[in-house]
Amino acid sequence: MSIWNYVVTAHKPTNVTHSCVGNFTSPQDLNLIIAKCTRIEIHLLSPQGLQPMLDVPIYGRIATLELFRPHGETQDYLFIATERYKFCVLQWDSETAELVTRAMGDVSDRIGRPTDNGQIGIIDPDCRLIGLHLYDGLFKVIPFDNKGQLKEAFNIRCVFAGKLELRIEDLEKDNKDARHVKTYEVALKDKDFVEGPWSQNNLDNGADLLIPVPPPLCGVLIIGEETIVYCSANAFKAIPIRPSITKAYGRVDPDGSRYLLGDHTGLLSLLVITHEKEKVTGLKIEPLGETSIASSISYLDNAFVYIGSSYGDSQPDAKGSYVEVLERYVNLGPIVDFCVVDLERQGQGQVVTCSGAYKDGSLRVVRNGIGINEQASVELQGIKGMWSLRSSTDDPFDTFLVVSFISETRILAMNLEDELEETEIEGFCSQVQTLFCHDAVHNQLVQVTSNSVRLVSSTTRELRNEWFAPSGYSVNVATANATQVLLATGGGHLVYLEIGDGILHEVKHAQLEYEISCLDINPIGENPNHSHLAAVGMWTDISVRIFSLPDLNLVTKEQLGGEIIPRSVLLCAFEGISYLLCALGDGHLLNFMLNTNTGELTDRKKVSLGTQPITLRTFSSKNTTHVFAASDRPTVIYSSNKKLLYSNVNLKEVSHMCPFNSAAFPDSLAIAKEGELTIGTIDDIQKLHIRSIPLGEHARRICHQEQSRTFAICSLKYNPTSGEDSEMHFVRLLDDQTFEFISTYSLDTYEYGCFIISCSFSDDNNVYYCVGTAYVLPEENEPTKGRILVFTVEDGKLQLIAEKETKGAVYCLNAFNGKLLAAINQKIQLYKWVLRDDGTHELQSECGHHGHILALYVQTRGDFIVVGDLMKSISLLIYKHEEGAIEERARDYNANWMSAVEILDDDIYLGAENNFNLFTVRKNSEGATDEERGRLEVVGEYHLGEFINRFRHGSLVMRLPDSDVGQIPTVIFGTINGVIGVIASLPHEQYVFLEKLQSNLRKVIKGVGGLSHEQWRSFNNEKKTVEARNFLDGDLIESFLDLNRSRMDEISKAMDVSVEELCKRVEELTRLH
Amino acid sequence: MVMDAPNPSSSAASSFLANLPSRGHFSSTIVSSNPGGMRTYICDHDTSPPEGQHIKTNQQNILIRSLTLKKQRGDSSSKDGSDGSRKRNAEKVLERSSAKKTNNQINSRQEGSNSQTATRDLHNLTVERLRALLKAKGLSTKGKKEELITRLKDATG
Repeated sequence: MSIWNYVVTAHKPTNVTHSCVGNFTSPQDLNLIIAKCTRIEIHLLSPQGLQPMLDVPIYGRIATLELFRPHGETQDYLFIATERYKFCVLQWDSETAELVTRAMGDVSDRIGRPTDNGQIGIIDPDCRLIGLHLYDGLFKVIPFDNKGQLKEAFNIRCVFAGKLELRIEDLEKDNKDARHVKTYEVALKDKDFVEGPWSQNNLDNGADLLIPVPPPLCGVLIIGEETIVYCSANAFKAIPIRPSITKAYGRVDPDGSRYLLGDHTGLLSLLVITHEKEKVTGLKIEPLGETSIASSISYLDNAFVYIGSSYGDSQPDAKGSYVEVLERYVNLGPIVDFCVVDLERQGQGQVVTCSGAYKDGSLRVVRNGIGINEQASVELQGIKGMWSLRSSTDDPFDTFLVVSFISETRILAMNLEDELEETEIEGFCSQVQTLFCHDAVHNQLVQVTSNSVRLVSSTTRELRNEWFAPSGYSVNVATANATQVLLATGGGHLVYLEIGDGILHEVKHAQLEYEISCLDINPIGENPNHSHLAAVGMWTDISVRIFSLPDLNLVTKEQLGGEIIPRSVLLCAFEGISYLLCALGDGHLLNFMLNTNTGELTDRKKVSLGTQPITLRTFSSKNTTHVFAASDRPTVIYSSNKKLLYSNVNLKEVSHMCPFNSAAFPDSLAIAKEGELTIGTIDDIQKLHIRSIPLGEHARRICHQEQSRTFAICSLKYNPTSGEDSEMHFVRLLDDQTFEFISTYSLDTYEYGCFIISCSFSDDNNVYYCVGTAYVLPEENEPTKGRILVFTVEDGKLQLIAEKETKGAVYCLNAFNGKLLAAINQKIQLYKWVLRDDGTHELQSECGHHGHILALYVQTRGDFIVVGDLMKSISLLIYKHEEGAIEERARDYNANWMSAVEILDDDIYLGAENNFNLFTVRKNSEGATDEERGRLEVVGEYHLGEFINRFRHGSLVMRLPDSDVGQIPTVIFGTINGVIGVIASLPHEQYVFLEKLQSNLRKVIKGVGGLSHEQWRSFNNEKKTVEARNFLDGDLIESFLDLNRSRMDEISKAMDVSVEELCKRVEELTRLH
Repeated sequence: MVMDAPNPSSSAASSFLANLPSRGHFSSTIVSSNPGGMRTYICDHDTSPPEGQHIKTNQQNILIRSLTLKKQRGDSSSKDGSDGSRKRNAEKVLERSSAKKTNNQINSRQEGSNSQTATRDLHNLTVERLRALLKAKGLSTKGKKEELITRLKDATG
């Protein structure tokens, strides 16, 4: 890998942090607006449900999202404040369908300590001011003038810490840690606070949520952990509640008499303020049911509620037995850990993440591919072939679906109710297996069986003509198009027929020396009904031959080599280039360029698509031809920029496929798989598909073991009912196909599973799972005791083989030179695997290295060890074999608080730190002095805006050796917000080109709300802000493809590169993820 | 979804759930949402805010602002009083705080601007600072603090 890196999002953030409802896109539209950290989503409420409208990237991490309506406006404005102290006010211009910036600004102060409890932003419902609490002790006010324009902001000194809400009700926490509430009025003229009309001392200790109650009731609800209090100038009502931490609330009624509360266990409750004549008489709370743990609640309409969640999936709920899930929106966040595996052995990585937290914990299998959206399916065993037929030649839709079995043929058709039912075509022979079917000219259909070819009228459905195979011979393989039939009988006979109006002519017969295994006469020339070439695959000599039609002269013979016979051949044309595809019985696919005039085959390429015989079929989607390769790993073959590309289809095993474009299921495919016939549409692009495996507990570490075909996870289960010792930690073994728990090892009380790897040791052929743990005792600040546990998997059970006590938490484990390298608190320790006299093994300490605050993340390569420290950035250690010692080689002297590290290559190491930045450092082995050599030079810096928990080498896409992107090394990362991203190391020439493109794109693609891309991507922490370098924003670069033509031309002119070339190069990059 | 434990007051909950607000959305019998097909917004128009709407924070110190405001209010309530003295007072306040802020990088030009204030400010400085100032003017740095101050004052005139 290199220092020139390209960062791109493969899976966008899904963690819902804020949501609100209002009339944003027009005075009549009701919109749900959702913030997902660095993006906002605008949905439209309709009688049918939620309609997604727009996904808007924001150059910042959203801290506040509020809708408000300035005086005299008919629709709401959107206020967004970011964590880096920028804010903007957006308005939707429905004429141009654009987000217009009404105001923006920078609200940072040069001095001031950022608040501990996160930023708070509120807007006065009467639109007099925007209040922001960004720094301790300061309350910033942005006033509105009477025309709804914003004026210069000013700060007010304040002494509170806590939540602010409407009407500036302030929760004040004093030194004695008791909580009070006070009201203040903002005197805009004096730019100061005035003591409000009332205050309340000594609140519930956990009171940290205030809900303003709108007029006519007025006042405020103070939500504590044990009580809920209603306070106003003249009333005070309190009710006790079951101890819980309320995480989010949503107002139901505009008059503020009902609220939905979501607590930390995911319980949704309804809080009711009972009142008489605008006077509050009491509070009532009723539990409604369980949801994902809410981070935001928005009441939509008609008893539907949107629950946004950080830890689980987001869902609009309907009222049923109080709560019923209507729809779940997948949330991958927080991705605590993940691994890259190839479970189906497809040559393509899948990511298995530990997602969610608490009770919403789950494993997610994320996989790239083309999806099939199933629309109907029937149980049907033993399908041997499928074809679709039309009821007349010029009917745009298919009517019949011919399904062939070993000893019969069934015909399905769409009936008037748009249901698929069995029907009959009288002229067809239905007592035998059908070898091939096709629509023919003159409203006819062709059916080929083992002893005849039948020509049937598609209008009367009666037999018009029949050609019989010579007696003693039966037809083995056959193919046809609208005017031609080619078939092969035993003994190597090749017969060519032409279709006339009510007649079948036998035109030519040829005798070949071997048996024929497959045929194709798919028309690829100008005439869509006629082919002048035929492709034939042969037994015995393992060749594929091209014959001319109609005279059946041999044009080309291509030896395939090897011993595997061709099982399916296909002539096809992509983007004006003709190809011959030839699939072998072992799942390999050969492709050749075909010269249609000379029949010459060139440019032979071979790829492995599966392990079972492949059947090839063409289908068209969006007017372009694709090829479907049905096998144990179904694949779609298509072409882009005159290159053949392969995409996985997210189905397990497909035996047959045929396009079935009926009126009820337009552009659909009929797919035969595992005893089932499915009709569905196919995605036109490949995208990530996510499968959820709910665990009901929080998985923290995951690793895969190829040999035992298992996953092992470290997980913890919260048990709120059992009181104090409510956490239980486990090491669990899961089957990698079914994802069921097959074995569990319970850790001790207070013992946490910190890390897990699968590894083997020198002089031992077994593969082990090694688990590092820590005893987290309540009275200790840092764990002083931990264990390393070594397990084997025997008969699907975890067997503890060895254990070693450590003097601290085992934060990280690595297989290292046939030994085990552990990071234990501030120490790096190497253990060797020693055979004892009694035949058992034990871990024996060999050497170690001190000098870290906490060595949290360790990666190794050869003898080099890269350590990511809690707060001392990255250091490089080396293991010296002769001396048996670990020594420090170099370090980065910046004070970065690390969250993940990875080794890109021998000299370059990648780090992520807790201010959401990425950086690379380089080893300086050519330095002149020891001092220079001992310093890791920072070579790349970038603000990602996401907290990375883990890097792993690997790829989400199929890496075929002949593709360009196959050569680009990539690292995958997972973040708290559920982002899966890819960092790709580019060659220098490509990097320079793309950097130029990025700077040109910055001029054309503007930041929503006037936020600057350059500022957003600049490396930023408490100490410094520097411009990004040696990292490119792939999300910005790839949005080039979504620009309109005139904008593309603009960039093309500035770059002096043609639009086609730019598109081609950017498209290539999109194939990295 | 499962309710947590049989609820004795379940009828109460359903009565509370009556008459939930509705504006006609989600009213179809088949309510379903379609999470796919969200368009990604590409913003290629000018997004700079309209004139005057690029908001900045007032940089005036909070204490000074409140003192100024208080002073103004006091003045406006007692209508009379000479304009000049009021201004001078306000200036004094400003001066003092700025001196405090720039304490460790005082430049002599500022010292000379107002002799009255300067004298007072010079008294507030440490001997070390005074010597540094003298040195900058090429004067002798010897003597007691009083001497240093008079020497500085003479130099600035």
